[in-house]
Amino acid sequence: MFDRLLSDLRYRLRALFHRKAMEEELDDELRFHFENETEKLRRSGMNEQEAKRRARLAMGGHPQVQQDCREARGTTFLETSLQDATYALRQLVANPTFSIVMILTLALSIGANSAIFSVVDNVLVRSLPYPHPDRIVRIFLTSPTYPRFPLNPFDFRDYRARTRSFSSLAAFTRSDMQLSGNSGQPRMLNGFGITSGFFRVLGLSPQLGHEFTPANELPNSAREVIISDRLWRTRFAASPAIIGRKITLNAMPFTVIGVMPPGTEHPGNEYHPIAYGHDVDVWSPFWFEGNPTQRGPHYLEGIGRLKDGVSYAQAQSELDAVMTEINRENIANPNRWRVLVVPLNQEIVGRSRTMLLVLLGAVGMVLLIACANAANLLLARAAARRRELAVRLALGAPRSRLIRQLLTESLLIAAAGGLLGLALAAGGVTAIVSLLPSDFPRAHDIHISAPVFAFTFLVSVVTGLLFGLAPALQAARTDPRSGLHEGGRSTTGSRGQQRLRSALVVSEVTLACVLLIGAGLMLRSLLNLLHVNPGFRQDHVLTAILSLPAANYKDDALTAVFFQKLMADLRSTPGVEAAGAGSDLPWNGWDENTSFAIQGKQPPPHEEFHGRYHCATPDYFRALGTPLLSGRFFTDADKKDAPSVIIVNHALAAKYWPGEDAIGKRITFEDQPKEKDWLTIVGVVGDVKDQPGSPGADPGFWWPHQQVAFRDMALVVRSSSDPEGLADAVRNAVHHLDPSLAVANVQLMDQIVEESVATPRLAFILVGLFAGLAILLAAIGTYGVISYTVSQRTSEFGLRLALGAQRLDLLRLVLAQGAGLILTGTAAGLCLALLLARILKSLIYNVSPADPLTFGAVAVLVVAVALLASWFPARRAAKSDPMVALRAE
Amino acid sequence: MPPDRIDLPQGTLDLLILRTLSIGAQHGWAISERVQQVSSDVLRIQQGSLYPALHRLERRGWIRAKWGTSDNNRRAKFYELTASGKKQLEKETDTWRKLAAAVTQIIESV
Repeated sequence: MFDRLLSDLRYRLRALFHRKAMEEELDDELRFHFENETEKLRRSGMNEQEAKRRARLAMGGHPQVQQDCREARGTTFLETSLQDATYALRQLVANPTFSIVMILTLALSIGANSAIFSVVDNVLVRSLPYPHPDRIVRIFLTSPTYPRFPLNPFDFRDYRARTRSFSSLAAFTRSDMQLSGNSGQPRMLNGFGITSGFFRVLGLSPQLGHEFTPANELPNSAREVIISDRLWRTRFAASPAIIGRKITLNAMPFTVIGVMPPGTEHPGNEYHPIAYGHDVDVWSPFWFEGNPTQRGPHYLEGIGRLKDGVSYAQAQSELDAVMTEINRENIANPNRWRVLVVPLNQEIVGRSRTMLLVLLGAVGMVLLIACANAANLLLARAAARRRELAVRLALGAPRSRLIRQLLTESLLIAAAGGLLGLALAAGGVTAIVSLLPSDFPRAHDIHISAPVFAFTFLVSVVTGLLFGLAPALQAARTDPRSGLHEGGRSTTGSRGQQRLRSALVVSEVTLACVLLIGAGLMLRSLLNLLHVNPGFRQDHVLTAILSLPAANYKDDALTAVFFQKLMADLRSTPGVEAAGAGSDLPWNGWDENTSFAIQGKQPPPHEEFHGRYHCATPDYFRALGTPLLSGRFFTDADKKDAPSVIIVNHALAAKYWPGEDAIGKRITFEDQPKEKDWLTIVGVVGDVKDQPGSPGADPGFWWPHQQVAFRDMALVVRSSSDPEGLADAVRNAVHHLDPSLAVANVQLMDQIVEESVATPRLAFILVGLFAGLAILLAAIGTYGVISYTVSQRTSEFGLRLALGAQRLDLLRLVLAQGAGLILTGTAAGLCLALLLARILKSLIYNVSPADPLTFGAVAVLVVAVALLASWFPARRAAKSDPMVALRAE
Repeated sequence: MPPDRIDLPQGTLDLLILRTLSIGAQHGWAISERVQQVSSDVLRIQQGSLYPALHRLERRGWIRAKWGTSDNNRRAKFYELTASGKKQLEKETDTWRKLAAAVTQIIESV
């Protein structure tokens, strides 16, 4: 069997590569046969001529035998294809402008598709790097106001004890740690406090040592940590002796009990978020501290692995039932929380899905336009090749053979486009990844992978067939007689062809319109975001994060003094205009809330007064550029023993004292307040938007740092010149006071603001590029179809001129034809866009999906561009020389 | 031309060629002459099918070709059976015998 395959292959290869020799041999062989036959007949008494005639008759047609022999060799299909390809290549080289336009436009569209596909494939399609990732779910609390709220630790403990849906249930909460001593510079490490079983949920286990056990969850149990492979390699030289060693974290000794393997990806979290896949280097045990009957605080995030066969809905309803029980048992804390179970994958990529699908849709439209465009160009060329095709048909070429030939040409063009497109995609993907916001899920996973190659190949073939089929079928329908008769110059052209070409141009204009409107809406949304007043002045501001370890700064006084000194030092640094520190920075996800009582006011039944709490040093607002609306900022006089004061934002003042002056009003956090427990509002500051796109700010207030001393603070330094130059000064000032502190996340406020609009900016850039490509293609298409008509009607135009028509009339005549197509396409485009723009609703900010300005501007732009494209051929028509036209007739 | 000449049944051409070559290498013309002679002029291979068949058999590796000199001292392409061609001949002969016997049996019995 194998022998036969081998001999078959050897024979076919010889047939393929020694084709000429084999043909000659066959020729000799047939001639030998013919001569023998003639000889035989002659010997039987026939004369020479008669013998030859009979022999030839007996042989059958010589070329027919040759063809049959070729087929018997089994290489015809390949040979024909090679022939077709060679022929097609010659055709392409003979028309370089045509070929270059075709291949470039296809390469751009296929490349764009491959690039977007690789983003979609890597982000949405590829599964997460955990075993059976579809079994992992995130668990939140949910209410109409807070769709995703963290869990209360004791609630979580009840879930864990009372549910059966999970093979493993765990919780985690952000808990960064400051690494010092040991070796190297002090460093802030991204970290999480985790319950036992956290890694079991993810399906991962330490490469060295072991995971935390329930014993680790007891308050004041041994201080142990698990570290990342990255930290182990960079800070501890990958020494296996690390297990059991003590390292200094937050100025306290912790024993390393485990090292996670490389590729342990953080699953992403919601509260004090670190995006999926970002560096997390240290995990410490979560301690269930406090009183189990006090279930107010919510700061734990739930994650669980479902047992096989348990559905998301089953887990959800079981947790809901448990939550109802908990609420019944703890009447002291009535709340209206429901449990929300979200598959991990959806939690990670869900919010990017719409944008990616919109991009995929947009880029698909570009490909359709490119196909229409290519089909149009091919049709135009087929018209020019009518003569050639008619001749081939007249000479007996089967129509199927012509179709095959023409399809080979379009496939070749598509293949060239695909190859070039892949190269463009490789560059495109790098560019896209660099433009993605840093919290974009799985951005670091994106690369050109095998599925992308397959996709590009498939798209190229489908594209080639799509734009090649109609023109090939049309061309093969050529009537050999008419094709030859008319001498290739027809005044009517083919009606059907003309209609097909017009339809193609109309659809190109339609799709280009849709894309431009999409891009226009995104541009307006981006401009809105950029021009929104965030409530602070982003320029000339440097920020950094500082954490004072509780072990070294045991009380508020020490903490307050440290920051007071630091602020004083920074203020005296040359170039510093204002230096402040606060509990948080705008847009870093700070979401700490508390309830309070207002002197002389009762909350409505079942409600409480509440607001987001922050803390600030005197110059925090000045450094950030948040305006003071009334009253005063904090001063150094607002000390621990001075009267308690507070600053509120405009939103809080407006919510609880509408139409009144909030200054001088008093609030308290105590149930039974004494006189000293009342805090007096001394200032009202402007609102800082929660998110750049959010409509306003949540009600919030600030404690003076000297009265409520936070240890984790964000430094805000406003400079009179380049703020970046202050980074070293800030570091030095901190280390001058305490060399064991890490100055983390040194960032310009400008960068934070940039980052916040990265996603809408990227969406606009991409859709804008696609729309630009689309309108270019539509213009080429319009130009092509009008210019073809003009060339077909040259003699008619000449005749009209000779009969006294004005050149302006001709110009108008041609432009009117173009305008008909363009207006139809634009009208259809506006309607389609009106339908589709609703999808964009979640992606655009402060713009109606039916924004009249965008729609109007796009309509004008499309009509103008397309008219310009038809103006060139129209001018050519108007310039026709009547004599040339008439003589040619 | 004898009036009682019949067309070759489907699939028998390969068998006839292989059988003819089993007695020694032959060129195309000789093969067709021989089949005609041996079958007393009843079977005649159309040249149009002979050469494609030879190419097909060669591709399958049952025969191989080489150039030689014919009786009348001319350069001619000779075909000869390969080892696998001999096996194939046995197989096809066997199949043919069975088929012929079965067909005969049916014709005679009914």
